[in-house]
Amino acid sequence: MANNLTYVQLSSCVNPSFWNKLTELKLNVDKLDEASRNIWGYFTNLNKDCVNSILEVDSTSYNENFNDQKLYIPFHGKILNKNTIEQFKECNKTDLINLEGKTLLESIKNGEVIKDPSLLNVFSILCFADLKKYHYYYWFSFPVLKDVIIEKGEEIFLSNKFTTENIYKLYNDFSALTANQKSYFIVEYASDELKLHKLEDKLNYITFENHTQYYFAFYNISSNNIPGSQLRNYVALILHYCPFLEEETQNFIAFILSREGSKVTCKDSTVFELKLPKADHGQNWVGWEKNERDKMGPKLANMKNTLDPNKLADDAVDLNLKLMKWRIMPNIDLEIVKNSKCLLLGSGTLGCSVARTLLAWGVRIITFVDNSTVSFSNPVRQSLFTFQDSVDMKPKSKAAADNLKKIFPGVIATGHQLNIPMPGHSVGESMLEQVRENVKKLDNLIEENDIIFLLMDSRESRWLPTLLGSHHNKIVINAALGFDTYLVMRHGTFNENLTETHSTCPEGFRTISGNRLGCYFCNDITAPGNSMKDRTLDQQCTVTRPGVSQIAGALAVELAVSVLQHSQRNSAPAFYQITNKAAELGCEIENQCVLGLIPHTVRGFLSSFNQVLPATEKFKQCVACSTTVVEEYRKNGFEFLLQVFNSSKFLEDLTGLSEMFKETECVDVWDLSDDEDE
Amino acid sequence: MDSNQTLTIDEFNLSIENIIKISNDILDGWTLHVNKENDNGKYITKKSTISIEEPGKGNPITLTYEHHVVFSLSYSVPMICFNVWKADGSVLSMEEYLNINQNFDDSNMYNTITQLDHPVLCRPFLTLHPCKTQEIIEPFLSTSKNPVISWLTVVSSYVHLKILEEYIKHC
Repeated sequence: MANNLTYVQLSSCVNPSFWNKLTELKLNVDKLDEASRNIWGYFTNLNKDCVNSILEVDSTSYNENFNDQKLYIPFHGKILNKNTIEQFKECNKTDLINLEGKTLLESIKNGEVIKDPSLLNVFSILCFADLKKYHYYYWFSFPVLKDVIIEKGEEIFLSNKFTTENIYKLYNDFSALTANQKSYFIVEYASDELKLHKLEDKLNYITFENHTQYYFAFYNISSNNIPGSQLRNYVALILHYCPFLEEETQNFIAFILSREGSKVTCKDSTVFELKLPKADHGQNWVGWEKNERDKMGPKLANMKNTLDPNKLADDAVDLNLKLMKWRIMPNIDLEIVKNSKCLLLGSGTLGCSVARTLLAWGVRIITFVDNSTVSFSNPVRQSLFTFQDSVDMKPKSKAAADNLKKIFPGVIATGHQLNIPMPGHSVGESMLEQVRENVKKLDNLIEENDIIFLLMDSRESRWLPTLLGSHHNKIVINAALGFDTYLVMRHGTFNENLTETHSTCPEGFRTISGNRLGCYFCNDITAPGNSMKDRTLDQQCTVTRPGVSQIAGALAVELAVSVLQHSQRNSAPAFYQITNKAAELGCEIENQCVLGLIPHTVRGFLSSFNQVLPATEKFKQCVACSTTVVEEYRKNGFEFLLQVFNSSKFLEDLTGLSEMFKETECVDVWDLSDDEDE
Repeated sequence: MDSNQTLTIDEFNLSIENIIKISNDILDGWTLHVNKENDNGKYITKKSTISIEEPGKGNPITLTYEHHVVFSLSYSVPMICFNVWKADGSVLSMEEYLNINQNFDDSNMYNTITQLDHPVLCRPFLTLHPCKTQEIIEPFLSTSKNPVISWLTVVSSYVHLKILEEYIKHC
């Protein structure tokens, strides 16, 4: 008898559902009540894949009855959930564990433990739940007596001491026990047979004369042959009822389950000869668990990823997009899309449709601008509004932002109620300051954002944002609707240098570099307006086939996302087909970015369910994006704008359009006179 | 559906009830859950805790796997869903999981393990994507007494699930 016995300590293993249930109970039942709750811990030593001895707690730990599933033995636990982190920290850990121990000693003395031996296995959790952050500070203790020193004698495997038949019978008897009797029991060896007894049936019959034929068995809190520290509590019980065993050598069985093939056996259990101490163990208890840094201290479980529904939604949205990256398109840059700040000018059918598609692409910052309120006709067409919004006459920008957040709380959506000043809409004296402020606000919004969507219902209202978009050189995506037609386009980048950067281009196609691509106003003038298909789109804006805005809104976002995927962003060239040869050759431009082609303009015609992709060049004298206009704004700022608001003729004079019209007339005259000469 | 025979939900339910019966005999820890609001509301779960070395750091960590075997109505196949958590209860994200999982090489791990909603619980779980399950299970439909067990023996090693030999005797 040389060595003192060493012990295995338990480790806690919390299931996520334990925190889930604790949160539910704290919010709905306990509220500010700090009284402790009784809980169950689950232990089995059948699991050999884990090097630690783990005590599990899960949502069923809070149940009234222990569910052993024939596999687990119970630990009797208490959870003390403090209301504040200060109370959690200030709690006296020594007092707490000694109090637990005192209760345990009492139940030994009054005989409760004899009836229910599982009461020797106890634990407690001191806890503070920060339910705003889903952070759980917790500290497990597994109280065991401190001053119990046991000397270890011989140890031998059960299978080396008893016959296979005996061991088989012992396991069967053990299996028949209820879960709480499995923790501690007595095994008797008499006339070549092993007999299992409950503590309450045999303890009183053990005497100094017959104790050598008995084995004090314990379900070992360890899957190897080192006993768990709970053995010390068992020894306290034994010495209380069998004081004649003080300083005597006594046989114990560390009961361990293992598998032989698929079947469970107890043959790997160990028989120990232990020399018991005096029964003077005192009142000191130990057993606070060390944390992951191997220090005496609490642990922190951060459950935000699992329990916070906002975080769950946030992760799920990103995951859905990542599947695209993982499975289909490894080179897609989702971060650039997610981090793009989007400004939506107009919060009607197009605005709603664009916002929802942006949301689906994982965009987190969306700003709405509109000047009207939700009307009764809006909700059926405009996917972000409800009937109640129209009853409340909520501003559209605000309602759109609020409802977008209801759909996905992870989005940072804001709404601005704002009139966009328009050319030819004279500004009276009384309105001057208001208009000045609106311009400033719009200018700021455009500067702060990365992608500007023009989704208004009139042509004039697009002028100022087009100019400001050029001035700040932002990605500007424009969508406009006709009755059964739509136009979706990107504006060219603003660059005083209009030289064509050459890119290779298959036969049958021509290319226009991004800095030479036109804006909505360039095209409006240059585009032929002679066919039914190309009728002016914005004039009949409010009377449209309902699906048109959904299509155009979705296309606007997809165009923006494609632009973001190109290394040159908005300077990416646009291709257009110049002969039918391209079609005959089967040539296609489709590898501009990982997502494919980046057109300049998408025009669609629902009457024929047809779509074309024209590209048009910048118009040197454009009233919105030409160098002259942008430079004039840069030079004279609001004063210049004011002149335009008061008379759109000013713009035509400035850009030389008026001059051009005159020249055109002259040419006509000269042409005629030439004819006359002939 | 003559040539492409699929597993019916009744066959699935019989198979998992059989698994529960075997598990109860050998204390393997499978539990049956029944959600009465769903047609495919029966599923079985099992927890297993392992020690593993944290990649890069080398220190041992305790991980608990909770495997669910549940029927997917959309694919008409059994699905294996699982979550993995550390000892403090925090659940591993898919990236964290793939980082510690040694059974997949980089090229195909995303094709095999993915995150999907659990067909009954409607919460995200890691899963072996069910699109290939039909291919695996089809030969077993006519030959195995318990096609779910037969399928599990093929796929279980990819998700740290141990299938004891006792089950194989029943299929």
